[in-house]
Amino acid sequence: MNRIRGAAFAATTAAALLLAGCSGGGPGETDPTNVNPEGEIEAREISWLLSRPADGGVITTIEQIAADYAAEHPGFSLNLISTPDRPSYIQRLETLAAANELPELFDIDATPFAATLAEQGRMMDAEALLTDLGLYEDYRPAALNYQRFDDGSLHMIPFEFQVELFWYNTALLDGAGVQVPETLDDFPQLCRGLREAGITPIALDGQDQWPLERYMAYYPFRTSGNDFVRDLKRGEAQLDSEDGRAAVEWMASLGEAECFGEGFSSTGYADAQAAFTSGRAAVYNIGTWELANLATENLNAEVRDDVDYFTLPSTPGAVTGADEYVSPSGIGMAVNAATYDPLVRDFLAFALERYPALYAETGALSPTTTVETTIPDNATELYERAVAEADSVGELSAMPWDTQLDPTSNSRLQQELTLLVQGEITPEEFIATMDTTIAEHGTAAFE
Amino acid sequence: MLPHRSRTAVLVFLLPPLLLYGIAVLVPIVQSLVLSFFSWDGITAMEFVGLDNYVRMLTRDDIFWTAFVNSLGYLAICLILQLGGALVVASLLIGLRRGRELVKTLYLLPAVISTVAIAFLFQRMYALEPVGLFNQALAAIGLDGLQRAWLSDVGTVLAAVSIPEGWRFTGLYMLIIYAALIAVPAELEEAARLDGASRWQLFTKIRFPYIRPVWITTTIMATTYALRGFDIPYLLTNGGPGQASELVTTYMYKTAFSHTDYGYASTISVFIVIECLVAVGLIIMLLRRRADA
Repeated sequence: MNRIRGAAFAATTAAALLLAGCSGGGPGETDPTNVNPEGEIEAREISWLLSRPADGGVITTIEQIAADYAAEHPGFSLNLISTPDRPSYIQRLETLAAANELPELFDIDATPFAATLAEQGRMMDAEALLTDLGLYEDYRPAALNYQRFDDGSLHMIPFEFQVELFWYNTALLDGAGVQVPETLDDFPQLCRGLREAGITPIALDGQDQWPLERYMAYYPFRTSGNDFVRDLKRGEAQLDSEDGRAAVEWMASLGEAECFGEGFSSTGYADAQAAFTSGRAAVYNIGTWELANLATENLNAEVRDDVDYFTLPSTPGAVTGADEYVSPSGIGMAVNAATYDPLVRDFLAFALERYPALYAETGALSPTTTVETTIPDNATELYERAVAEADSVGELSAMPWDTQLDPTSNSRLQQELTLLVQGEITPEEFIATMDTTIAEHGTAAFE
Repeated sequence: MLPHRSRTAVLVFLLPPLLLYGIAVLVPIVQSLVLSFFSWDGITAMEFVGLDNYVRMLTRDDIFWTAFVNSLGYLAICLILQLGGALVVASLLIGLRRGRELVKTLYLLPAVISTVAIAFLFQRMYALEPVGLFNQALAAIGLDGLQRAWLSDVGTVLAAVSIPEGWRFTGLYMLIIYAALIAVPAELEEAARLDGASRWQLFTKIRFPYIRPVWITTTIMATTYALRGFDIPYLLTNGGPGQASELVTTYMYKTAFSHTDYGYASTISVFIVIECLVAVGLIIMLLRRRADA
């Protein structure tokens, strides 16, 4: 019997151990607004916990800058700890935060969890820091706004800037005899036309869930800006309202028109992109971080001349401008208040001053307005147009809902959205489930 | 009765592993039990909520009950594949005169492949676009109409995530049952044959009763492994679409590490402990009662 009990206990050991590891936590000891602490700069290793591609522009640029800084400050080194997979990264970050073991620098979105850390004084005031370094005015307002909490405070520094566009295959649309949608309401008709021609209308990475959740944000952003989601997440607005119902019914209409590829919920990022770049899908909604794959000679030659893009269509009576849509500045970098000292400040001053020019040289969009993006030699005409599009984007960015809702409501929304679009549940069921979930968890999370 | 010195020696040797067991197993379980009475997000102060987490789990959380029913379905499919499959293959294997080692190795092979590799393998095999192996096979035999995205269909996804887990460990249990079957005394079987016993009677009256103790152990192992099944469903579908392949374990993990609701996740983990103990108790009771009958 003891052996039997042992086996049963062993079945739960892993989970119990993981849970047992979570303890501690507390506010930082440094004043988050004291961005210029007194004292000597003592070189040591500092760490940055990131969620960015290891071979991406941000990391390669920062590595170069850190090497230059280390040459001037013997004994300094920057330990970059990257976990590109976002869900895994968030779990790691939250566990470290719970154990009060966050490193000097760490990536985080403007989520309710981050807001709690900021309230506890565990993240430096980024606005005060950038102002003190004389760099605040250099940043694109949209890039900073994306990082702000609801109260307007800024605790994360952006390292990139993107716009999310609808890439489409002109030949497939022409072949199916359909036009680029002028309003969001035109999407179902576009999908039906493409389906009749035997073409997958929209390539979607359903496995990661956030791409479908983006669509959920579009209609309310056009009808009420970001106000709707900001009220909704607190339980102060419901999906059972004019704005909410319009969004839910639009999502259901996309499902009815079979807009997304069959089996989209188990389609991954690479497969979704391959469906578009191989000419099997007509539309693909993705950000400018994919410019190298969509607007250079890396793109499949068979579709290269047929690819174009359009921005988020509007709705009748929209309150947001045509130049306002999703323009994220990516996950931001927070500075740990508990470990902030003259060295961290000095390194950040050194790095943030040099970063925009070096980053723009990689062909990426800098979060500042001080530099011009270098267009790669193998770029197609679209590359320059997309960069110009980003430069002329409005100040209001559509906030992705996954950064706004509390984690429990967000998980449920992602799950229910898939069911709604697959036709497994009705809009009424979706609305009832989500309003109940947000009323219980959202209200508590934003008290 | 052991002499005094021997008893001391036994205690000295037993104490370290007992301490290790207590620290590694019992303490976390007790800690989970304590945490289950609190609401805690990991970064703010813990708030005592009494039995509210248990009330929420049992009365207000529809996902928990969906996950529980899914876990029972997952368990059933895994047991049928692992134990049923293992018994059939082991029984056929003892009748095989040549190539036994090769067959055993081939069946055991999935047990040594990494979980992540198995998940990626099945993800490709189940896919509809690009067309995976299962859908290609259906097309090849003219059953195109049955082609589907197996991991996106709420009607098929639970079976789809259970099959890789069942397939993976069939070979392992086959090996254990095979070892038990070859230990059945040949003279017993010979005597039964002389008395005119059929193959089925030989199996039900001689072989199976003889391997019953091994069968009980194997059933307990397979059941507890299936009840804590996590990795393959999590990697294949993350519980989706919707909650169609959500298991209690994947839900507990998400509650802790995605929702940062450690108190409620501890409540679910306490449920898993109880669930495992009840399952093991039921298995022993049923099999012993049948043996006594």
